[in-house]
Amino acid sequence: MIEIIDLHKRFGELVVLDGVSLSIPPGETTAIIGPSGTGKSVLLKHIVGLIEPDSGQVICFGTDMAQASERERYAVRRRFGMLFQDGALFDSLSVGENVAFPLERHTRLSPREIRDRVEEKLAVVGLPGTWDRAVSQLSGGQRKRVGLARAIVMEPEVVLFDEPNSGLDPLTSDQIDTLILDMKQALGITFVIISHDIIGTVRVADHIAMLNAGKLVAWDRTEAVLRSPEPVVRAFLRRNLVLPEAEGEQAHLPRAEEARRG
Amino acid sequence: MNTMRQAGAFAYFVWDWAMAVRRWGAPRAEIWREAFRIGVMSLPILLVIAAFVGTNLALQGFYAFRPLGGGRLVGMFVSLAGVRELGPIIAAAMVAAKAGTEMASQIGVMRIREQIDALEVMAVNPYAWLVTPRLVGIVLVLPALTVISIFTMLASGYLVAVFQLGLNGSTYLTFATQGITAMDFVYGMLKAVWFGMIICLVSCWYGFTCGRGPEGVGEATNRAVVTSAVVCVLSNYFLSEILYGGGP
Ligand SMILES: Nc1ncnc2c1ncn2[C@@H]1O[C@H](COP(=O)(O)OP(=O)(O)OP(=O)(O)O)[C@@H](O)[C@H]1O
Ligand SMILES: [Mg+2]
Repeated sequence: MIEIIDLHKRFGELVVLDGVSLSIPPGETTAIIGPSGTGKSVLLKHIVGLIEPDSGQVICFGTDMAQASERERYAVRRRFGMLFQDGALFDSLSVGENVAFPLERHTRLSPREIRDRVEEKLAVVGLPGTWDRAVSQLSGGQRKRVGLARAIVMEPEVVLFDEPNSGLDPLTSDQIDTLILDMKQALGITFVIISHDIIGTVRVADHIAMLNAGKLVAWDRTEAVLRSPEPVVRAFLRRNLVLPEAEGEQAHLPRAEEARRG
Repeated sequence: MNTMRQAGAFAYFVWDWAMAVRRWGAPRAEIWREAFRIGVMSLPILLVIAAFVGTNLALQGFYAFRPLGGGRLVGMFVSLAGVRELGPIIAAAMVAAKAGTEMASQIGVMRIREQIDALEVMAVNPYAWLVTPRLVGIVLVLPALTVISIFTMLASGYLVAVFQLGLNGSTYLTFATQGITAMDFVYGMLKAVWFGMIICLVSCWYGFTCGRGPEGVGEATNRAVVTSAVVCVLSNYFLSEILYGGGP
């Protein structure tokens, strides 16, 4: 349902994406990992058509996001929920109003129904009863969770998460991972998740794509990526995991603080 | 050359905005909120400035006309200058300084914190959602502020004329009302609407094109107020020429 075909993107002199092709399997969770500044967020923004590629294509639900008219693009985007790396909450609105925003714009639900739906999603992300809080009073991790609630409030078919776990404590982080697993099972949602939390990624992701220096250096099922012989991939994963050897042997997953990027 | 490119980009922005309005309409509830905010924010400073412009108009009118034996014309001088020129431009300057800068900085912050991207992803057109309510709000409010500033000038001019210069109060009022026509008010309102559109579109545009980082927002805010003030003052000259100029 999401096809990324030979995507190239540069900002001025800086080549960010240098021929990336990827197809996101529906109903499963794909994690995008890679060093900071390699263009993971840029890739995610291409998927929803926020950035136009220099060359290559992104096809979502049969629509070429760069070629489509604004109406077509908006129609596709309504099937998406997206969490931005820094939350991207509206400072002028309260927590509840932020989460209610897409419902108010795109549904005919009554204020009562909107309120119930929003309270439910806030409870799901561990922030029950925070409707009236000002966004400016929230901690970084709380913002992130409000952003999560907003991303899933429309019950979209595809959810894009840019670092859902960064800045969260280990317990909350686990809860978010569990939430993702539950939503995938119960609702068949397709997830694309950027993460620096390798341990969490191994738990939730069915597929891992690793981006390095503008290219995909790994793109396979999670177990296969863990066994990848590619040195850069091994080096990247080894920091947080004791990797399986070439033959058998289960991955051993220590709970390392280092897994979380502050 | 650079200015031409900027003007081109600005024209493109206005076109995009107009298309967005045609396609997506305007969020009603936001319009009232913006109008109210713009008015409340700009009113106190406007009252102070207009009052002290009025005092000086009275003084200078008196000093200018007295040698000609026309001290009584002070009322006319204040009302003509106020209604035709200073009322609209001073209200515009204050609104540019308070509301315009706020538009540029709010939208700039939304741009660098990806909130505008978030609007896009939630299938809400940012131009229709952010620019239209501000534009309608300012176009509703600036004429009202202009009227208020005109009356403030007349009132403070009256106080100076009567209590400082010792002129007759009813003479002041008679000349003040005789000097101007209803058309002058209409033209003043036209100017106010035009200035409001300039301030809003220019300030929003600088917000949308804001550079990355906090310096970006500061710069956008700064340029918004400078550019909208310059464009307002320049276009004011041409507007006055068109509206009041009767040829050579
Ligand atoms: N709109 C833009 N204009 C110019 N450069 C940009 C823009 N967006 C991203 N970049 C640059 O592209 C590169 C990749 O950015 P991106 O945000 O995708 O990295 P990332 O992989 O998400 O890193 P991180 O893990 O730190 O979030 C960075 O060097 C960034 O400065
Ligand atoms: Mg990123």
